[in-house]
Amino acid sequence: MICCKECLELLHDYLEGDLQPEVSTSLEEHFEDCPPCIAFVNTYKSTTHLCKTTLNSTEIPDIVKERLKEFVDKNKNA
Amino acid sequence: MGFSEPKEAKVEEEQLVKDLQAGKTESFERLATLFQKKIYALSFNLTRNAMDSEDVTQEVLLTLFKKIHTFQGKSAFSSWVYRITLNATYMKLRSRKKDQNISIEELLPSFNGSGFQQEKIQDWSENTESLLFDNETRETIQKAVDLLPEKEKIVFLLRDVEGLSTEKVGEVLELTVPAVKSRLHRARLFLRKKLANYFEEYKVRKETK
Repeated sequence: MICCKECLELLHDYLEGDLQPEVSTSLEEHFEDCPPCIAFVNTYKSTTHLCKTTLNSTEIPDIVKERLKEFVDKNKNA
Repeated sequence: MGFSEPKEAKVEEEQLVKDLQAGKTESFERLATLFQKKIYALSFNLTRNAMDSEDVTQEVLLTLFKKIHTFQGKSAFSSWVYRITLNATYMKLRSRKKDQNISIEELLPSFNGSGFQQEKIQDWSENTESLLFDNETRETIQKAVDLLPEKEKIVFLLRDVEGLSTEKVGEVLELTVPAVKSRLHRARLFLRKKLANYFEEYKVRKETK
């Protein structure tokens, strides 16, 4: 039986679908009997999602956009 | 658009690069429009400073314009842009480097002798979506990312935030695929632990209110 440590080490590859099917299956069998690992997997996935959503919302402020446009125009014709 | 590269976007990008190399300066404007948000956002996520990110964006755009003839097409154009962006950003950061001394090891999961998890793991993954609009949550997330060691942070930003493939991240950073994967995994483990501390405390606070 594979232990928590091994499961968590393989977690990235497991979620990417990069593991051999029999290895994936043994992870899933472990998860069935291990609520701490299920909690870990769920929170690992949500971490990625939360960070992505938060950091992806970075937009260029309008005033900076204007200045960049001026900068581009100026250099284009230099 | 730009980095996400559906086919038409990629064809347009290649044409723009060729045109600019041939001296058609009009294509500079279009390339700038296509890439400036990505340049700014990556720089901002690394520096967390609007003025620095604006400077970096200008510098990178200018480099694209002036050094376009040095781009040989050996890697994707966007990989080249990312590398220039990272170099410019790191130059900025070097001038104002603060010591962070946080060890990623301390935040990795811990196991007992038989390989079982030692900590009590709570599942806070449900109902966090609504907290995304909460300023405190957003700040906590940003701070956690800021605390990541540089090597892990950049892999995390390119792969998980910008959505580049593992292979492409390897190309930009000149790393092997296993190295990208291992850094990404460590970054996610670090961030998970940071967010776990926050959400577990958040829950207690709410319950005792």
